[in-house]
Amino acid sequence: MFGNTQEPSGPTAPRISISGLGKIYGARGKQVEALREVDLDIADNEFVCLVGPSGCGKSTLLRIIADLQRPSSGEVAVLTESSARRPAAVVFQDYSIYPWKTVAQNVAFGLLSTDVPKREVKDRVALWLDKLGLAAFADSYPAALSGGMRQRVAIARAMVVESEILLMDEPFAALDAQLRRILQEELLSLWQDMRRTVLFITHNLDEAILLGDRVVVMSGRPGHIIADYTVPFGRPRSADIRGSAEFASLEEELWLRLRGEVFPGDAAESKEKAA
Amino acid sequence: MTTTMEPRRAATGTPAPAAGTQRTWRIAPTKAEIDPIGHARRLRTQKILLGVSLPVVLIVLWQIAAQLQWIDRRFFPGPIEIAQAAVDMVASGQWFGDVLATLRTILIATAAGFVVGSLLGIVMGSLSKLRYVAEPTLSAFYTIPKIALLPLMLLIFGIGDMPGYLLVALGVFFIAWISALEAVLAVPVGYREAAEAFGVSRLRRFGHVTIPAVLPAIIVALRISIGQAVLIVIMVEYLMGKEGIGYRIWHAWSLFDADTMYVGIVTVALLGYVLQLLVKVVGAKLVPWSGGTSAAEK
Repeated sequence: MFGNTQEPSGPTAPRISISGLGKIYGARGKQVEALREVDLDIADNEFVCLVGPSGCGKSTLLRIIADLQRPSSGEVAVLTESSARRPAAVVFQDYSIYPWKTVAQNVAFGLLSTDVPKREVKDRVALWLDKLGLAAFADSYPAALSGGMRQRVAIARAMVVESEILLMDEPFAALDAQLRRILQEELLSLWQDMRRTVLFITHNLDEAILLGDRVVVMSGRPGHIIADYTVPFGRPRSADIRGSAEFASLEEELWLRLRGEVFPGDAAESKEKAA
Repeated sequence: MTTTMEPRRAATGTPAPAAGTQRTWRIAPTKAEIDPIGHARRLRTQKILLGVSLPVVLIVLWQIAAQLQWIDRRFFPGPIEIAQAAVDMVASGQWFGDVLATLRTILIATAAGFVVGSLLGIVMGSLSKLRYVAEPTLSAFYTIPKIALLPLMLLIFGIGDMPGYLLVALGVFFIAWISALEAVLAVPVGYREAAEAFGVSRLRRFGHVTIPAVLPAIIVALRISIGQAVLIVIMVEYLMGKEGIGYRIWHAWSLFDADTMYVGIVTVALLGYVLQLLVKVVGAKLVPWSGGTSAAEK
């Protein structure tokens, strides 16, 4: 149920609390268990990166938190103070921006069902276009933009909402390696400027360590959480931490943890995409 | 198992709490997730009930209107009288004769027009030169109302079945042709290039790439074609038939036999529905990969 029950919560209550979450696809015949007994707490303003083999149900988990799908068992409790319709803004892997809207219109779409007044919509769209280096393209259509630019539009659309929670589903997966690094660094400084609670899904361990306060590792299907690392770098941090020995050893540790899980999930990848 | 972090207050940017109230949004399974099999079954039952309820409501309203004399029963008999007339017509064999005659024209002419039209569309979509030559002329012919050609057909073929077959086939031909042509042009370049890159010959490309790629559009075109075929065949039968549902409707009208006329009209509606349903079911089998389209929706 999607209740709005008021509840006394202490200041240390997690922003997102996931307990015993399970998801099974398909009613009869072939059933696929995507998630099993997932427990995860995400604190307020914490940046959590979720890594795991393809098809392990990472996206399913994110879609459930975004309330695009319902779990088969368990519950997600999201703490919210805003009056917005949904407490979370989402950045999709395939951008999901509309080709018939200009860049500015796409970004403003994020505010369509909020009660932000028109005047402020304009200002906020301008602000976020500026922050993401899109100001010069405000009136362009997405077709005229490169992949990196399009993904910036998708990020701007989510950021402009200024919601308490940001859910990002492999937002940089379709970008080339150079562009990916640039956007990673931009996101890092953006988030350090205006913090909020983030769940960030990625395949890229380096990306997870650079951005996250925590890196959570999921098993192959059915996905459940097998490890939870606290990233030992403080804030604000810069991309320079990549060169440190600590960074390399954490990446190695994560890889060792993940390697055994990667293989069984491989064949299931396309199925999860389809579902 | 998780590290609880000190909650940090954002300096800027976070939304102002609405009067400081904190709410909890709970995302939990609904009935649909707790009992997925029962839910799927309920959905199916619901779908059928919803589809049936509108015609039932309309028929009941019609009967009430006739019973209460809101409408003139000489011209607008109620459903019960029409049903009685239908039973008589079925019993006398007349109804089957009419349905058979109309159905024969629809099936033969649609099959012919559709096969020729979609093949030509696919070929023209694949060969740009042929497209440049034939497209303007065919587009011009497309807009001629088919029924306007009936006198010409009568002149050439005389009175008989041929003019009816030809007009229906022609009407269907253009729908199939345009749909197939546009569908071929809309096939993503990547599909063609992948076939080219693996050295697949043009001829085999038809079977492996082009035809499967356009099949969903072709099935939609077939549904539209069935509707067009029914329309044309009824008109032709009005004008020159000796049998068939269209003839029966027109003939009954000229005899002020309203009951029979309505039986004809209802029969046409049912015929169109059954044929379209058939296309939908067959279509779903033909394009198992095309999830989400109406053709694949069971």
